[in-house]
Amino acid sequence: MHPPLLPRLLPPALLTAPRGQRPAGESRRQGPCGTRRDAPGHRTGPGGGTRSRRDATAPLIQLPRHRREASAVLAEVFPQQMEGVKLIVTKTLSSHFQVTHTVHMSTLGPSSYHFNATFVGDRQLGPTEAFPTLIGDMDNSGSLNAQVLHLVAERIRTKAVFQTHQTKFVTWQFDGEYRGDDCTATLTLGNPDLLGESVILVAHFLQSITSRLVLGGEMVYHRRPGEEGAILTLAGKYTALKWVATLNVGYGGAHASYYHRANEQVQVGVELEANTRLQDTTFAFGYQLNLPQANMVFRGLLDSNWSVGGVLEKKLPPLPVTLALGAFLNHWKNRFHCGFSVIVG
Amino acid sequence: MPSWVSYQFQPAPAICLSSLGVFSVAAAGGPGAAPQGLRGWLRRAYRFATDRNDFRRNLLVNLGLFAAGVWVARNLTDIDLMAPQPVP
Repeated sequence: MHPPLLPRLLPPALLTAPRGQRPAGESRRQGPCGTRRDAPGHRTGPGGGTRSRRDATAPLIQLPRHRREASAVLAEVFPQQMEGVKLIVTKTLSSHFQVTHTVHMSTLGPSSYHFNATFVGDRQLGPTEAFPTLIGDMDNSGSLNAQVLHLVAERIRTKAVFQTHQTKFVTWQFDGEYRGDDCTATLTLGNPDLLGESVILVAHFLQSITSRLVLGGEMVYHRRPGEEGAILTLAGKYTALKWVATLNVGYGGAHASYYHRANEQVQVGVELEANTRLQDTTFAFGYQLNLPQANMVFRGLLDSNWSVGGVLEKKLPPLPVTLALGAFLNHWKNRFHCGFSVIVG
Repeated sequence: MPSWVSYQFQPAPAICLSSLGVFSVAAAGGPGAAPQGLRGWLRRAYRFATDRNDFRRNLLVNLGLFAAGVWVARNLTDIDLMAPQPVP
């Protein structure tokens, strides 16, 4: 029997940025129910059409550490929109290697099959950090998502992300992150094209002012033939014993979030987003109820688009099986979607 | 002249007022002007609250909802889900 892998390897579909991060230029997600919580890529934008927040085929520009962590915490509280039937089978082949098969029978679009392979190296810095890490995900149409994370030096980390849509490259992204004692600096190159003279450059810096307060800024610069521009965003995060509050303010709008851990069973997340370019604002309230005694986790969502939804996850011991049931209703657009998933392993 | 000005000084129809138990016709600047002003204010407030095309309105409403959500998260969520139900 192989020793278990890291307890929180990246799940197959988590190749996009965590919840709440929108890809540059995208508005918040518009799921089938009009819910804004499934944005692909940068939590930004719970995305359009039938894409879920963690759609592996969505474009990806990930944000540096602190914002990603804050968004990841909220991402765990809010439910993922579910539709159709999904079967996920995970097999750990060794202490370093894991494969996952995902079959999705969709009611809104074409069904799909995903094969995911994850390799984790020997250098482990924490319970969820090990280097190098290689993740690959391919679907039945030949579209590929690949990530490589490597620790170049003690304080320098690099990451490369590639996404293809069948035979065409959609995203190629390179990150370099420096972690100081009380600061983090990250530089991201998105889709650099020397011949086409286009690039997306993201520079991010966070400084710990006190043990609880982190302030920083982010600059996004994009260039294409005949066009270039930059957006500056200021970010702040305050961490208390039981809650975390973040605020990002920039030219394109503002984003505020509040995460509260009431106790071991109840977690609540509140989010507000205002986009001045799209002249749109959204609010979302989500909560997570965790009952380990009942092997159950429930996540609920309510947002300003008149959408309500919930996902119930129930483990079925002694089998290594988890059953997830989800339903989302958009009162304004009069749309309802439900689905269930079976996760084995 | 703004439309609400003419509305404020418009005498209320006797039929409508009689159905409400009021038999006097409102005169400009009289007691009826207060309900007219109040009705107009309520109408404007309702239009403001339901006008989804107004960015300022959306921002204010969602900001209020965000504040309410934070208050609920901080004050109403410390619940023990496994606690036994109280026995009457």
